[in-house]
Amino acid sequence: MLEKMISLLFLIGSLTYLYWAQEFTFGTLGSPKSGFLPNLAGILALILSITVIFRQFQYKKSANKDAVDWTKFLFILIGLVFYLMILSIVGYFVATFIFLFYLFKVADTAGWRFPLVVSFCSSAAFHLLFTYYLKVALP
Amino acid sequence: MDILNLLLQGISVSIIPVNLLSCTIGVLIGTLVGVLPGIDTVSAIALLLPFSYGMDSTAALIMFAGIYYGSKYGGSTTSILINVPGEAASVVTCLDGYPMGQKGRAGAALAISAIGSFIAGTIGLIGLTLLAPPLAQAALVFGPPEYFSLALVGLILLSRLTGTSALKSALMAVIGIMLSTIGLDSLSGISRFTFGIDELDRGFDLSILAMGLFGIGEILTAMTHAEAKPDIPSVKFRDLYPTKKEWQRSITPMFRGGIVGFLVGLLPGPAATISSFISYGLEKRCSKHPEEFGHGAIEGVAGPESANNSAISATMIPLLSLGLPFCGATAILLSGFMIHGITPGPSLITERPELFWGLIASMYIGNVLLLIINLPLIGVFVQLLKTPLNILMPLVAVVTLTGAYSINNSMFDLIWVIFFGILGFLLQRVGFEPSPLIIGLVLGPELERGLTQGLIICNGSIWALITRPITATILSIGAVAILYNFVTWFTKYDNTRKELDI
Repeated sequence: MLEKMISLLFLIGSLTYLYWAQEFTFGTLGSPKSGFLPNLAGILALILSITVIFRQFQYKKSANKDAVDWTKFLFILIGLVFYLMILSIVGYFVATFIFLFYLFKVADTAGWRFPLVVSFCSSAAFHLLFTYYLKVALP
Repeated sequence: MDILNLLLQGISVSIIPVNLLSCTIGVLIGTLVGVLPGIDTVSAIALLLPFSYGMDSTAALIMFAGIYYGSKYGGSTTSILINVPGEAASVVTCLDGYPMGQKGRAGAALAISAIGSFIAGTIGLIGLTLLAPPLAQAALVFGPPEYFSLALVGLILLSRLTGTSALKSALMAVIGIMLSTIGLDSLSGISRFTFGIDELDRGFDLSILAMGLFGIGEILTAMTHAEAKPDIPSVKFRDLYPTKKEWQRSITPMFRGGIVGFLVGLLPGPAATISSFISYGLEKRCSKHPEEFGHGAIEGVAGPESANNSAISATMIPLLSLGLPFCGATAILLSGFMIHGITPGPSLITERPELFWGLIASMYIGNVLLLIINLPLIGVFVQLLKTPLNILMPLVAVVTLTGAYSINNSMFDLIWVIFFGILGFLLQRVGFEPSPLIIGLVLGPELERGLTQGLIICNGSIWALITRPITATILSIGAVAILYNFVTWFTKYDNTRKELDI
């Protein structure tokens, strides 16, 4: 199911890309313009996505992969989005500390003291490393 | 003789303390990346890119190359000890390495793997030393049509060789090309597909894409899979001595693997992985004891482990001499070159000979270092395997995100890293290999420049474009690959039809 959804996403993406590619001049063979490759690539992607979808319906065998803990996946996503949102508000150190602690707990790290200490020390170490050694202006 | 002198000059560059230190750090990190399942070579290089800003360019590139070839050394450790490949290229090592470990010969398997990697790595390096300079010299006369054909054939072969489905790989490569068209068009100066967003004008940064697809993607995979704690056997230094019989059975596969790996490494695609499978098949066919394969045949460890190391050196040839990366890891290495303002390609050898030869010489030194470091430290690496992923992965996630932010000090990049991370995770789940997407993104601008300028040069005649001597030769290789693919597909289809009696 997921495989078909991804392929469908590629098909819609290719169509949208091809639609927007019409904004740029195609040119001629003797004088190709900025729309030349985007149009060719868009058409090719469209053909390939249709073929992939067609083959997926033809052969119903799906890839046999290990089970994924989708709840954990969702929680990690929420954590990532939350990190992005608070990073520029509370600053790198605090945001990273909260994010790390949250991820440790999502990843089933036992206890409270150990994840708290590791999160605090790691956030401080990363902050020092990036700010003072790599001279990065962190938020 | 000239090459020998230049290589000696390269050695003089690579033994400068800072370069030697970078080489040692690179091979150590590489080994760790190989040992620890869940961290990929490409994502490791991608997340370390920002750390190299303050470094000298030669030292930084020596370190990245060290991570690249060092990871193949470490990859076999987990295959042999816990039946989990640390690297895709070490998947095949599980087949005989793990049974050897079960029989109490894990130490010998690790030693043979390290020695084979050293021998084959050296074979690959000799090939790189001899082939890269003349190829770079020849490439000086290449014009846009030749680069177009190289990029096109590279993508065709890549789709043919990568992953489980050629069709899916082709689609990923085309999507990579499409992504490469986002931003300012270098030929016309027009902004394409940016929708008025200024940050998109510079296009997608390769390292951002790699950090997302491989880095965050791998972290998501590792954190969302139930992890069974493996029982890791202890390996002592004295266990590492192979018996005389094991030696005798391994030495020819090592050399054979070295040659096979080098030849496969010249082709676009995940050469290290493919060469290890080809070498395994070859060893099984050549062996006097084919029945032992799968039950702990030493040849099944010696051949593939040698092949994947030799392939690594060969994959550096198109990158250094043509400036074209044909696999995910060399694509991200290219990004490392570009961050330091260096463009690999035909002119690198003439404009920056100290860097070119220094890098190659450092690979010889790194190869020796890996052998020296790996065997005595095997116990330490085994201990590292006990590092719980639930502690490691959140830390790697933060380093990746901070590294991604630091490239352009941009929150916008962070959003993209997370987006591509989710995409990478989902793609891997459904059998779409993300490597061709990265290659498509890198080769896309080359393909576009070659095609448009080539057509202008040839007055719009496609025939004139594809019949130029070098272009025709290169395109013929692509045509043979397509034909071979088609024949294979047709034969399979025909067999299935007969089986079903349609």
